[in-house]
Amino acid sequence: MPVDRRKAAVFGGALALRLLLLLLFPSLPDLLTGRVEVSTPVTSFKRLQEGLFLYNRNASPYDGGVFHQAPLLLPIFSLLPNAQEYPFPTALFYSLVDLLNASALVTISDSAQAVSGRLYSSVRKQIKWDGVVVAAWFLFNPFTIATCLGRSTAVFTTTGILYALSAAVQGQNLNSMLALGFASYLSIYPALLFIPLVLLCYDRRAQRSNITPSTALFVVKHFAVFLLSIAGLLGISLLIIGDLFALISATYGFQLLVPDLTPNIGLWWYFFIEIFDSFRDFFLGVFWLHLTAYAGSLTVRLRRQPLFVVTSLLGIFAVFKPYPSISDASLYFALLPLYRHIFPLMRYTFFSVSALLYASLLGPAFYHLWIYAGSGNANFFYAITLVWSLGLSLVIADTIFAALRDEWEQENPDQRGRPVKQV
Amino acid sequence: MSPYFGLLRALPFLFFLFFAVRVSSEHTSNWAVLVATSRFWFNYRHLANVLSLYRTVKRLGIPDSQIILMLPDDMACNPRNAFPGTVYSNADRAVDLYGDNIEVDYRGYEVTVENFIRLLTDRLDEDVPRSKRLGSDAGSNVLVYMTGHGGDQFLKFQDAEEIGAWDLADAFGQMWEKKRYHELLFMIDTCQANTMYTHFYSPNIIATGSSELDQSSYSHHADNDVGVAVIDRWTYYVLEFLENRVTSANSKQTLGDLFDSYDETKIHSNPGVRWDLFPGGEQEGRLRTVVDFFGNVQSVEVEKTDADESGSLKEDLVELARLVEKWRTISQDYAAAGNDSLQQDNERAPSSYEVKRRNLGPVKLAEETPWEKRLIGLSILGACAAIWFTGSALTGSMT
Amino acid sequence: MSANHEDSESSQTAMTSKPSASSLPPPEKPNAIQTRFGVVAAFWAVILFLGFPIWWKTTSIYRAELPIQEMLDWAGGKSCRPVFPLEIRFDTPSLPDLEAQQLLRITQHTLDDLNEFSAHHLRLKLADEEAQQATEKADTALTVRLLAQDDLSSPRSLLDADTTTLDVFYPPSQIPPPSSSISPLSSYIAGELQRLFAEEKAIMAHILSNNAMGANVNTPQSPNSQAQQQISPQLAESITRRLRRSMKYAETYHLAFSLFTPGSAPSSWDIESAVQAYISPLVQVLSPISNFTIDTQVQLYASFSPTTPPPEYDETQQVWTLKEENLSAFINAAEWPLNPSIGSGPTINFILYVPAPSQSPLLVNEGKATSWIIPQWGGVFILNPPSIPTSESTKGNPPHLPANALTPAFLTFSHQLLSLLGTPQTPTSLPLRLQTLIRIRAATLLLSASSTMGSLARLTESLPSIPIPATVASSVSATLSHLSSACDSLRQGRFMAALASARVAETEAERSFFEKSMVGQMYFPDEHKVAVYLPLLGPIGVPLVLGLVKEIRRVVVGWKARRG
Repeated sequence: MPVDRRKAAVFGGALALRLLLLLLFPSLPDLLTGRVEVSTPVTSFKRLQEGLFLYNRNASPYDGGVFHQAPLLLPIFSLLPNAQEYPFPTALFYSLVDLLNASALVTISDSAQAVSGRLYSSVRKQIKWDGVVVAAWFLFNPFTIATCLGRSTAVFTTTGILYALSAAVQGQNLNSMLALGFASYLSIYPALLFIPLVLLCYDRRAQRSNITPSTALFVVKHFAVFLLSIAGLLGISLLIIGDLFALISATYGFQLLVPDLTPNIGLWWYFFIEIFDSFRDFFLGVFWLHLTAYAGSLTVRLRRQPLFVVTSLLGIFAVFKPYPSISDASLYFALLPLYRHIFPLMRYTFFSVSALLYASLLGPAFYHLWIYAGSGNANFFYAITLVWSLGLSLVIADTIFAALRDEWEQENPDQRGRPVKQV
Repeated sequence: MSPYFGLLRALPFLFFLFFAVRVSSEHTSNWAVLVATSRFWFNYRHLANVLSLYRTVKRLGIPDSQIILMLPDDMACNPRNAFPGTVYSNADRAVDLYGDNIEVDYRGYEVTVENFIRLLTDRLDEDVPRSKRLGSDAGSNVLVYMTGHGGDQFLKFQDAEEIGAWDLADAFGQMWEKKRYHELLFMIDTCQANTMYTHFYSPNIIATGSSELDQSSYSHHADNDVGVAVIDRWTYYVLEFLENRVTSANSKQTLGDLFDSYDETKIHSNPGVRWDLFPGGEQEGRLRTVVDFFGNVQSVEVEKTDADESGSLKEDLVELARLVEKWRTISQDYAAAGNDSLQQDNERAPSSYEVKRRNLGPVKLAEETPWEKRLIGLSILGACAAIWFTGSALTGSMT
Repeated sequence: MSANHEDSESSQTAMTSKPSASSLPPPEKPNAIQTRFGVVAAFWAVILFLGFPIWWKTTSIYRAELPIQEMLDWAGGKSCRPVFPLEIRFDTPSLPDLEAQQLLRITQHTLDDLNEFSAHHLRLKLADEEAQQATEKADTALTVRLLAQDDLSSPRSLLDADTTTLDVFYPPSQIPPPSSSISPLSSYIAGELQRLFAEEKAIMAHILSNNAMGANVNTPQSPNSQAQQQISPQLAESITRRLRRSMKYAETYHLAFSLFTPGSAPSSWDIESAVQAYISPLVQVLSPISNFTIDTQVQLYASFSPTTPPPEYDETQQVWTLKEENLSAFINAAEWPLNPSIGSGPTINFILYVPAPSQSPLLVNEGKATSWIIPQWGGVFILNPPSIPTSESTKGNPPHLPANALTPAFLTFSHQLLSLLGTPQTPTSLPLRLQTLIRIRAATLLLSASSTMGSLARLTESLPSIPIPATVASSVSATLSHLSSACDSLRQGRFMAALASARVAETEAERSFFEKSMVGQMYFPDEHKVAVYLPLLGPIGVPLVLGLVKEIRRVVVGWKARRG
């Protein structure tokens, strides 16, 4: 097997960079672990350690109400030596997971599904970055590095999603569903990706063998596999924990009902602090519906580009999830370079990129002013999270617009290059 | 034989009782709920208002256990306070309201509309301590004093929420339904204060406020060293009355006197009084003494050792002494009589109202068992990998 | 958040309708129209099938069904008329059966004539009769033992103070002849019985009438009120005061015994043995009524509050005296740590005050008393211990109070405890008084639980926005069932059982009324609702509705075109 030198350089460089950061700044991981931008109540490494401590001593990890993550992580992390005493193995493990994710990205990129699928082929398909560049964008993204060093368990969800995509574009439908099941098991919301993902699988399947299987049957079959994989994981978890009710209420209940309003970069916490208590349940429903509503409609609208639907949905989740962190944004930014070809069609690139930069620089500063210095208040930080969400939303809206424009130009080749006006 | 036969024979001791005990006013206990509702340094005067009232009711005898004090901010320890650890309500700074004996029951962010309403209606968690509860009953006179920033029929709490006049009226309504007060004096010092008591509907309430609709309540004066206003006008003059004229717990000053002392030229707003809920209206209400609400009723009953009547202390003591000697046999007799029925009920009773709450008992932490756990971890990883590769292998057959 | 929603939504719809703005609009393809329809339908499907159910479920206030009418009936006294049939056993060892029955009949008759308060009446039974009715046995309130004594001219009675027995000694000549319908002996016994239960009767009448009036003013005068009229106003007044003095009922009372002294001595007391000897027996016999916990403390250097008038020296008697009107200021509430924060339930404070040697002996009321009761709060006893000479030739208090020095104090505290719990003061037999207390408690609890039910029912009706959780409904039904069982037990004369049921009923009633989740949204004006819903309806609703309207219009136009 020929070794791709560029790939090796990028991967090796990324690994070296992570380990170098760890060596140069030994306190950096703990600092990042404590940051609200990196760790949320459902992905925090600190909380994982608490759960691990209890688990290793045969107590229920959910006692004490600190740990809210999937129980499968516990036996896996018990394989690693104590991160407090030996931080290196854990850091190495996380770095390797990052590399795994990057290699999945390479696969996705190399399949070229982003530019031409079964139903659609972009007119700009020559403008494209190859897999190594895409992987480099992911691996050297500061958000990814911060997530990796902060040891957020969100990276495992990322792995699940990326491998679901990479398996799907390779035609390994079964694996795709298994990986999506794993991701959903870890943090629920990836289940919303099922519809576009199964369409992606279907398209690949139809592309390979020229006979197109029945759509309904195909979807039902894959849905069954998806459910089975979740059920299997839950079954194993039940073996580990024993108490199904405690397990569900501490993990999924916690993610769905959002009882922890610790500040994060999302929009939920401030809103639910402020909302009248009697309307809390209602708005909980509204916020979740709002999140789910996009899955159906985006799939309908962009039926011909299911991979793009997945990408956009991931962007939307990064904004509207209950406990978002920069790792969600890093996943979205990892998939965006696949759409190099529509970048020229984007109109607000400068504005959105500067909003994101502005937010990521001022966010920690305002958080400090509020929490530590006491010279600001919650509104400072919330304003910044608004800017951050605005920036992300702008990117999402802009890419969707660009993708639609791309489709339109493909349909109307004579109109290419005409300025368009939104009405 | 007269039908009063039995009564007549029973009367002497009752007469004894009647004359032995001084006739006191109707109520049996006093409670005070003193609430400031605003935060931040520039609202210093609201906390000073409430602390002044706190000192007054304490001076007139209400014990701390029967005063619920709600302070939304800590002025004494505010970094801007030039006199740390103190709060003054007067520029002469003669009396440190904070002193060294002050019991704040609800403080900081605990002062919320919800907590206030829960306090009044006693809908609190079982584990809320008694010091945070209003333990008044059908014989209690309750003083409710509120101060803060308000508007037409609302009073702001903590810059974040507000209590409406309706909420307050309903809370008092529920208190009346559950017999949680005998008579209630409601005082409020805020802008448009009189609008706050317009919706009250429960009987036995006397309400008074500092200003009418569309009127502001003003601060009285500022202390240049403290840097902010230290007291509100209406409260200042109410306090002046309480300090100068109600000097002891036995004062005979009436509410009528207090309300007559309102001087609109000094207060700069029109204080209001609402009598119509009180039985007997204004006439009757004016006769209530100030200490009926601001003081503590303690009509003690002295027990004389030389009285001979039945049921008196002396006789009781003899009996009790006998009881002490023979209590074992008695208690056996006595218990035998009622134990059967009682025990049955006791056994049944707990199950019927058992709290359905999962009690987490203490969990013993076992020794760390890393190898076992690691084995589980390895097998899970192995299983996942196996499924993954089986999945890849099966891909071809999946249609 | 919603801004973006609108953004992406409108950008989608804009894309499809955009060509109309350009100079050369290519016709919309049918599949584009279909797609747009799909997008609008997808959004609306989510709203209709998920959004509306969620809105309905989460914003409607859950109100469990309560048996309002039944609750109001209880409060209004329509469901249960509490009666107190007291069973009195006649023990006639020296009388033949027939004569005993005759005596019994006549006495019962006399008693019924005497009794003006129907809810509370005495039922006489022969001792051997009782053995026959094993089931549904009523508690025996009193045993009357008839003993013949030859050297008497008129009957005399002796109430045994330790048991519930009334010994009646009578000259044998007074046994009524079988034919007579009146006899001095039976009149005497009836009178004695009536006297024994006079106070209880008055208290019952007071409780019942007061409550029926207070709880439901509109109902016609209850039968109890006629009895009320026959009680002299003084008696009523004193009973009112006594009831007001007694503690509110609680499942658990905390007894706190505190030793206060202004100096450094005495610093210890034999409290354990004192409690063991004087308080424990009482607590034991009071156990059917409530539970008790006991705490003790010693506080040295406890000074009066500055506003308390100091005791005055009475030259004639050579004692220090406290004025009775100043006693209410005796307790230094601000500084003495008497705050009742021991678990749930009220605290009854008992204070043993040992004055400074310089102010000893300290007495109240010109030297007549050393103790007083503070209504609903506790009792105070001033103990003047024999002073012992100290080294500086001044008097000093003994450093330790032995058990025998505490005897008067703790007997007084026992007495105060009984008074504070509302024990009646007659008759002299303590067991009888405790039985009376059980009946009084059963009656008060029955009434208070009933009135709580009424309050809850009225509250439910007057505040339509208050949520009623299911636990309240179950508590209410438990209360009602225990109330009726308490009522039944009363009717059968089983007062212990009645008290036990009434206690459960009271606890459940309190729990239902004070249900924590019944606060919620008490008042929420409509303008607030607009403020809550506007951000939803504005940015999200408008594009959605416009999209829907557009689609409908298109469908309608197409449909018309096809028809025409």
